[in-house]
Amino acid sequence: MDPGKFLLFATGGLADAAYLFIVAAGLSLVFGALRVINMAHGSLYMIAALVSVVVANRLGAGIGFLPSLIAAVVVAAAIGAVIEVTVLKRVYGHEHLVQLLATYAIALIIGGAARLIFGPNYRTTTAPVQGSLTLLGYSYSVYALVMIVAAALIGVAMYGMLFRTRLGRNIRAAVSDPELLNASGVNVTLLYTTVFVIGAALAGLGGVIVAPSQAVDPTIGDSVLVLAFAISVIGGLGSIIGSAVGALMVGEVISFGLITPATNSFALAFVFIVMTLVLTVRPWGLFGRPES
Amino acid sequence: MRSLLPRRQADRVRWGLSILLLVLAAIVPPASQYLEAQGLIESSRFEIVLGVTALILALWAISYNLMLGYAGMVSFAHAAYYGVGAYTVAILLQRYNISYYAALAIAPAVAAVVGIVTGFVALRAVRLYFSLLTLAISQLLYSVAEGWYGLTGGDNGINGITAPDQLTDYPTLYYFVFLIVGVSLLLMFILVRSPFGAALLAIRENRERARSVGINVKAYELAVYTIAALFAGLAGALFPLVQPSVVPSMLFWTENATPVVVTLLGGVGAFLGPGLGAFIYTGLYNSLSRDFPYQLDVLLGAVVLGVVLVAPGGFASVPDLLAQLRRRIVGEGPVAAEAETKGEAMQMLDVTRAVEAHAIQVEPVARGEVLLKLENLSKSFGGLRAVEGVNLEIHEGDRHAIIGPNGAGKSTLFNLITGRMRPSAGRVWFDGRDITGRPPHLIAKAGIGRAFQITMIFPRLTVLQNLQYAMLAHRGRTVQPWGLADRIYRDEAMQLLDAVGLGPYADLPAGQLSHGDQRAIELAISLALGSRMILLDEPTAGMSAFETRKAMELVRRIATERNLTLLFCEHDMSVVFGTARTVTVMHQGRILTQGTPEEVRSDPEVQAVYLGELDVEDEEAAPA
Repeated sequence: MDPGKFLLFATGGLADAAYLFIVAAGLSLVFGALRVINMAHGSLYMIAALVSVVVANRLGAGIGFLPSLIAAVVVAAAIGAVIEVTVLKRVYGHEHLVQLLATYAIALIIGGAARLIFGPNYRTTTAPVQGSLTLLGYSYSVYALVMIVAAALIGVAMYGMLFRTRLGRNIRAAVSDPELLNASGVNVTLLYTTVFVIGAALAGLGGVIVAPSQAVDPTIGDSVLVLAFAISVIGGLGSIIGSAVGALMVGEVISFGLITPATNSFALAFVFIVMTLVLTVRPWGLFGRPES
Repeated sequence: MRSLLPRRQADRVRWGLSILLLVLAAIVPPASQYLEAQGLIESSRFEIVLGVTALILALWAISYNLMLGYAGMVSFAHAAYYGVGAYTVAILLQRYNISYYAALAIAPAVAAVVGIVTGFVALRAVRLYFSLLTLAISQLLYSVAEGWYGLTGGDNGINGITAPDQLTDYPTLYYFVFLIVGVSLLLMFILVRSPFGAALLAIRENRERARSVGINVKAYELAVYTIAALFAGLAGALFPLVQPSVVPSMLFWTENATPVVVTLLGGVGAFLGPGLGAFIYTGLYNSLSRDFPYQLDVLLGAVVLGVVLVAPGGFASVPDLLAQLRRRIVGEGPVAAEAETKGEAMQMLDVTRAVEAHAIQVEPVARGEVLLKLENLSKSFGGLRAVEGVNLEIHEGDRHAIIGPNGAGKSTLFNLITGRMRPSAGRVWFDGRDITGRPPHLIAKAGIGRAFQITMIFPRLTVLQNLQYAMLAHRGRTVQPWGLADRIYRDEAMQLLDAVGLGPYADLPAGQLSHGDQRAIELAISLALGSRMILLDEPTAGMSAFETRKAMELVRRIATERNLTLLFCEHDMSVVFGTARTVTVMHQGRILTQGTPEEVRSDPEVQAVYLGELDVEDEEAAPA
């Protein structure tokens, strides 16, 4: 394959991996600390994307981006806080069945509410940075490169938060030994709310970042949720590094799946084949820990 | 919320509602024609088609509930099998000109084949990961439906499917579907009440316990997954009768909202619950979806959330809730009265038991032949030798205690005997047969039972069902998909329950009993499994002094009555010296000494390493 084309598809995969990583990391963090699979994670992503598009278009592309980012992430985080306090607190420690169904119900509610508020049609906005650059004969949008850098920065920030702050230490304790955490005098109730809000904010951040690069409607959360699951499961639920590796694999599989007409209808199918293979061989994922 | 005793009454209400539902479903065509003649509705055809839709949905949702309600599995691939059924019919009709009836017969088979293959993959993982794998499988099948233009028409789907001429008359169409759905429901109804269904309930309640009574959990899960896929495929095959086109989005994972909502709306606990849900859903959907489509989504989500958080029974639990309400309003009633006297009855039972137990204790125990023999048994973990060169003979009918300080290797020794660990060296003989390294369920079958491990019961099944289902599984009857599980081995289970003093609680959910009584259920399960020897690992851990005394009296009495051999390890020395006829002392993985309780007590060597510690505990335990 000619190197220019290879670079094009590799970068495309990286751009997909960028926003998928942000979304999946939030999902994975919540699962790791709270042991809850949040079926409404994609809905938070979707709401944030819609809010950001509406705000950005109202204020004008470019200058509107930062306010739209803040507004969207705050909305996602606030909805997350409401979900955690009103619903999740009641299902912690229940069987997975109850948690799956409860958060799935929330996803249905948010999906209906989003159609009610924003209408069913898709919306678009322009990227805050325009322009493109050419490399080895193919052109790249600058915004795609911005997405990749942003994801890398968010990854580093998360790592710093988890390993350099008191909050991060408590979250890691919640992941590895919840009982010890209970005994250590940390306000676990507050910690759980905080973790879920961070997870929701990450979903929102993913939605904001992806919004300028695609059409946004109330269904975009449904397909992203499945990809985020695929990533978390491949990388290992609860592992941030796993999310990064999983996102890279999924992003590149989708991107290179599109490379020939023979395979491009099945690009997504490849992702689920990879996921199925990983889960059957190593059910707890590449970087995860077996559940006791 | 679960009702206590008035199940029978609630059941009667439920049966009445079910029959009412069936009758109402049966008269949809004439009723709507009558209403049309009276000018009350515009078109009877429309109502009849709605009825057909509800019937198809009922079949789909009830097949979903086979997994959700009966086996406790959350699948996100059920819409995919429904879609596979619909696509099979569409493809056979449009591309191969096969008759609809032939296609209707082939479609469920195709769905079942897809179901068994994909289910086999999904069931490599358990619970949560199983659910996530079904999600992946669902999206995989969706991608195939969308991507395989040559076969499925890609994202355009397959259009212009027409029902066969014989079914163009609406009432005929309705009764045709009614018949197929009715027969399917009947088959599923027989299935869930059969011993096979009992195995599913056991798995839902406690996978570990189900395995230890001899149920091959994965095989049953795969079986029910495949059966559910088959009926979903049949429902999907009926779908083209009311809709002319089949599109890939039918397989998208979010489509599972329909069976999930319908199932929870009607109730997972009752067989026809999802059927009721289907009619409610269809009515709601039809009256709201045109004018308030998004409000409807919110409403359905709220209903699911409410059901999950507040009333896990859905509409089907209304009789239970009403019975509870009635009890609260009417006051005590016979139920509450019985519950009130429970405590008193228990006290009285205990007095008689205590007297009996004392009589038994002074009786000498008849020691028979050697039942269990350990030969030079060793187990090391890395460099650590947990058990080293243990030779031990346990005689039939003996009550044999193993004591020793923490880390002496008692638990490891137990795990070697029950097959949970493989020994590094040495042999285990039981009743003259070498059982070294056999898997746990085969050792259980050979006659070594374990009891008194917490949560080893099926909490939401009745006490009686706990025993009956364990017997069904142990005797290999759970492969049978017909017959009434609750009627099999009933008397035998009842006798066992009476023997352990749980007779009065036979119809209560096991999870509602006290800690000590739950352990009595476990003991009864061990007896039900025909165990000749029962291993008790710290039987009284976590029990109050009162419960401890009660439980050990029970164990002694049962062991004497049924000539059971007991092998137990225990820290509470009052329990050890009150129950055991033979005591083995372990220390650092080896056997230090063995003898009667009196011999062990007075052994100077034992006192040197261990009994100093014991005496203190003994004195502490004595006044309690």
